[in-house]
Amino acid sequence: MANKKISKKDIAKLLNQWSREFAVFVPSKESGIATMARWDGKDVTLDWYRNTVIPKANFLPAMEEMFRFQKDKESYNIELPPDGGKQLIFGIRPCDARALAIIDANFKNLYQDPYYLSRRDSAVLIGVGCINPSESCFCTSLGISPTESKDVDLMLTDIGDQFLIEEVTDKGKKLIAKASGLGEATKEDETRAKEMKETSYNKVTRKINTEGIVERLIACFDDQDFWEKIAAKCISCGICTLLCPTCYCFDINDELTKQQGTRFRSLDSCAFPVYTKMPMENPRAEKWKRVRQKVCHKYGFFPMSFNAIACTGCGRCIRLCPVNWDITQVLNNLPVKTEVGK
Amino acid sequence: MEQKLRNEARALLEQGKIDWIIGFEVGSLKFTTTPLITKDKSDTERLVINPFIANNLANFLTQIKGRVGIVAKGCESRSIVSLIQDNKVVRENVVILGVPCTGVIDLSKVEKLVGKDRDELDDIVRERDKVIIKVNGKKKELSTTQALFDHCLACELPTPREYDILLGEPTPPIANPAAQESIKKLKQVAPEQRWASWEKELSRCIRCYACRNVCPACFCQRCFVEETEPQWVLPAPRWQDNLIFQIIRNIHVAGRCTDCGECERACPVNIPLRSLTRGMYDIVGELFQFKAGLDKDALPLMTHYEEKEAEDFFR
Repeated sequence: MANKKISKKDIAKLLNQWSREFAVFVPSKESGIATMARWDGKDVTLDWYRNTVIPKANFLPAMEEMFRFQKDKESYNIELPPDGGKQLIFGIRPCDARALAIIDANFKNLYQDPYYLSRRDSAVLIGVGCINPSESCFCTSLGISPTESKDVDLMLTDIGDQFLIEEVTDKGKKLIAKASGLGEATKEDETRAKEMKETSYNKVTRKINTEGIVERLIACFDDQDFWEKIAAKCISCGICTLLCPTCYCFDINDELTKQQGTRFRSLDSCAFPVYTKMPMENPRAEKWKRVRQKVCHKYGFFPMSFNAIACTGCGRCIRLCPVNWDITQVLNNLPVKTEVGK
Repeated sequence: MEQKLRNEARALLEQGKIDWIIGFEVGSLKFTTTPLITKDKSDTERLVINPFIANNLANFLTQIKGRVGIVAKGCESRSIVSLIQDNKVVRENVVILGVPCTGVIDLSKVEKLVGKDRDELDDIVRERDKVIIKVNGKKKELSTTQALFDHCLACELPTPREYDILLGEPTPPIANPAAQESIKKLKQVAPEQRWASWEKELSRCIRCYACRNVCPACFCQRCFVEETEPQWVLPAPRWQDNLIFQIIRNIHVAGRCTDCGECERACPVNIPLRSLTRGMYDIVGELFQFKAGLDKDALPLMTHYEEKEAEDFFR
């Protein structure tokens, strides 16, 4: 079956059809920063390479109400938050879509987190490939192409004035079956899309070597000098974790008044000195241990548990870091233990 | 200036006058630098001074034990002086390598004016009072007013007053009134609208605390924002709590803030934090005729009182 295509100027019409069934989210800078925002009916701009605030926020918000409680004599009444409805995320990049698949390992497969799943299972992801990856992008080193369709329901590839549409999942196929205003992709369109994909792939120049990464990290885990040196300039802020598409650590807090309260869940960061201080202590009081944890969790412990690296090479942690702490430099300069030194 | 810095830094390490050198080296992305913190004298070859040395390195002084050589622009030298005033840094343990600073380029401003992401620019060159942007083989000229950080345009002390070695000829302040435009505009807005505007801005806050963690004046071991007994603010990014966090942070750094602009630069979600910090800086100036970080022998503003205090309850 031939792929479909859509003229860029008709995107708004398409979203309009879908907005009857879904809460449609699109990349937007309306709020003052690039983020996924509720579609306002206007044309959609897709000219920047990725949002600052990750689409992860649509599934694991920076802060969410878990429930409200009210004291009723000897017991409590619990009130759950209303269901947010079905989301359609338009314009998600392949790296950010892969990130959701990575988060699934914990929130869907190992545990079944009702808050996450209520949003994740009903959502539709419509990917748009990157034709201009950023200097900080290194997705190809993590087995992701900037235009790949693996983790979305529909994948759009820029072929000039139009997008080629790949129908990836049944969910995606159903959406397309109901949509109007689409054209049939020609052989030339397919060729053009293939060229665009290849060009984009080759534009990703930042590389890391992931071969044997788990073993290499274990080998240098106790090299305090190395970790202290690379951690020296880190300021222990939460940018690289809170804005990471795969980081999911959270904290839980109650807000109490006399007879009632609200329980909140919000993202937490292993970079913070107060991380896990609520139950006891932070076992990583020193900064170098926290930096080591961040690197080792993504590239060592997570792969050991879930057989996947918890990084998609989106590069936000590099681009947004106030001190230009660069994980690719760290990974490319891991100390190698030589036999002679033994 | 760069070569002189490398020579001086190497000599200081070789002679054992310092244990550490803190400076800038070329960053891993275009138009960036990154802090270089090292004991190794061969690393001094990587030290740079260029129009992208944005960080306030004084922030690292309170973390490092031993004698430290530190590269300091005017703003950093003021932060160092302020830390000395607060007994956080011992003057004798620091060798200040002063850099007369002609201003740092604000990449966000450049992106807006050129209409392109920094990744798409071929080069950015500073030439006296101009900044030349090279993109797609074409040159675009920006004035320093257009391209430098607002806090650089407003800088009152580009050449450090407190230093051990001055690496170049002193440079005068730019003293450009454009630097205060955004704050002036904000002040003219009706309170209700200003409130609405801050609600919008602070709703984006993700509580990464980068604004606090890059700030040399935020040197507390324990921050009120993370206290749980009592819990002053919810540690989740609700906008009202974000507002309280920023207000209290501002009051805590009053008289210590040198208007280095790092909080706003570090913010990943573009909250115009300098409107608050500079606002406070000006209030401190008006009320107390005090400017942070100018005199290491002066008593710190908020931790001492005089008999002729304005408020009766102090006596």
